[in-house]
Amino acid sequence: MLRYIIGRLLSILLTFFVVSLIVFLMMHSVPGGPFDGNDMPVSDAVKAKLNASLGLDKPLYEQYLRYMWGVLHFDFGVPFQSPGETVTELLARAWPPSLILGGSGVLIGAPLGILMGMAAALRRNTWFDYLVSAVSTLGLTIPVFVISMMLIMVFSVWLNWLPAGGWEKPYSWILPITAYAAVPMATYARYTRSAMLDVMTKPFVTVLRAKGLSERRIIFQHVLRNAALPLVTVFLPMFIGTATGSIFVEAMFRVPGLGAYFVSSIELRDYPLEMSLILMITMMFCVAYLISDIVYALLNPRIRFGGKS
Amino acid sequence: MSQTRSPLYFALRRFADNKAAVVSGIILGVILLMAIFAPLITPTGYADQDYLTEALSFPSSQHWMGIDDLGRDFFTRIVYGARVSLSIGFSAALFAVLIGIPLGAIAGFYGGWADWIVMRLIELFSVVPPLLAAMLLGALTNGGFFTIVLIASLFGWVQVCLLVRAQVKAFREKEFVRAAQALGASPGYIIRRHLIPNSISPIIVGFVLAIPLAMMLEASLSFLGIGVPPPVPSWGQMINVGMDFMYFYWHLAVFPTLALAVTVLATTLLGDGLRDALDPTLKGR
Repeated sequence: MLRYIIGRLLSILLTFFVVSLIVFLMMHSVPGGPFDGNDMPVSDAVKAKLNASLGLDKPLYEQYLRYMWGVLHFDFGVPFQSPGETVTELLARAWPPSLILGGSGVLIGAPLGILMGMAAALRRNTWFDYLVSAVSTLGLTIPVFVISMMLIMVFSVWLNWLPAGGWEKPYSWILPITAYAAVPMATYARYTRSAMLDVMTKPFVTVLRAKGLSERRIIFQHVLRNAALPLVTVFLPMFIGTATGSIFVEAMFRVPGLGAYFVSSIELRDYPLEMSLILMITMMFCVAYLISDIVYALLNPRIRFGGKS
Repeated sequence: MSQTRSPLYFALRRFADNKAAVVSGIILGVILLMAIFAPLITPTGYADQDYLTEALSFPSSQHWMGIDDLGRDFFTRIVYGARVSLSIGFSAALFAVLIGIPLGAIAGFYGGWADWIVMRLIELFSVVPPLLAAMLLGALTNGGFFTIVLIASLFGWVQVCLLVRAQVKAFREKEFVRAAQALGASPGYIIRRHLIPNSISPIIVGFVLAIPLAMMLEASLSFLGIGVPPPVPSWGQMINVGMDFMYFYWHLAVFPTLALAVTVLATTLLGDGLRDALDPTLKGR
């Protein structure tokens, strides 16, 4: 197990290095620099001075090494678009709204999806099962900004029940959280249904029935436990996936969160922020997959002891 | 009962039993026909501002979906939007398959270091969110049709590659492959003539399921303003514009939203149906 974890950590380091190199090169190949915008034109001399003050006149490899050296010391630089704070401070300010909305979306959507999936599996081929399948397919196939759009159309424009956006009042959080919850709910409904059906056809369930166990105990004590395994592994990556989802949900509902910075950092050639955001998401995905795999192995003795599942 | 029936017959029967898939196939066919014959069923060109005096008017018998903010017939724009969406979906899926098949076949057939490299490559593409990479690449190349196809296929090949790899791995040790090897067939020949033809059902499934992903990516990028450049109509871009008019002119937001939702849904259900029909063992995954 330890050897496996060390191997995976090395592979994560490799991935991190390759991604950082590719992103850095791509980022600097985009024509234009941070001071080429048209809203505040500056003379070439001033531009050169500004670039020099940020170290942008140095050769690329030196810039890369300098930046990565900083990253190793948890120094992510200063964002060009708001030089009064460091990238870390900007994240500390902009991330909480995204985390609150995305986190509540996952924490509400996932249990709801599990319940729906369970009920659908237990009432297989009834109208409820078809309804759950329809809802989960819709949730997985319709882009999140379309879902947001529909929510705004129905609840803000037509029914006028809830505000179409904003961040200050907690009841304006309801629609964005619903939009965030759609994907986890759909994913979990689908996974739970198929995992439950998978386990329910296993011979050990027949044995439990023959033993005279009540259907309730079979479902809750045995089927659910076995079906829960694959569900654990998708949780963390899904949670982190809300970070990219925030680009759309926050734009639709005008939430002052992280989402807008993904777009603006690329548009404004804000190299430190752009690099930090992409590296952070990449790292979180790597770690999330690693943790998921370890948890999966801990919960499943068949994998831990090297047997075949 | 004496007549032998081909696997294709059973696949077709399983497919015909799946009502959702059949209906989706018909809907997708209709959308495809509308996209192909767009000039015949629409009154004007997609960028013609022929109705400036009636700008923003609601759906009527003359203009089924109303007029947009720039005086263009909205039905025309929706139909041409299908052209953009479907052509990007299909070409991205095609390129995804073209990248995925050889890599999957090599990884599955040779194993060892070839497999290691391909798997690391897949890992790389699974930890970088496609949207962020797409935004960066979009800025690099100024967006446009081919950039979107490139990005969508770069992130779409992984699924095809994994499916082909699994299939090739499973068939590598079969007797007929051993026999071909004993007869002196080269690895390239075996992969081409025996292993890839035997992977045809996962390839078809991978192809069809890559289409909606590419269409969603296109819509997302166009929504953010770095997709297909105007005046070429794209549903994502139309949703973005429609948002600004939503409170008073609902039609500008509703029609592109519905068009995108229906098309993506129909393609996904068709793909699911084909997967269940071609390979019943994969069902429900």
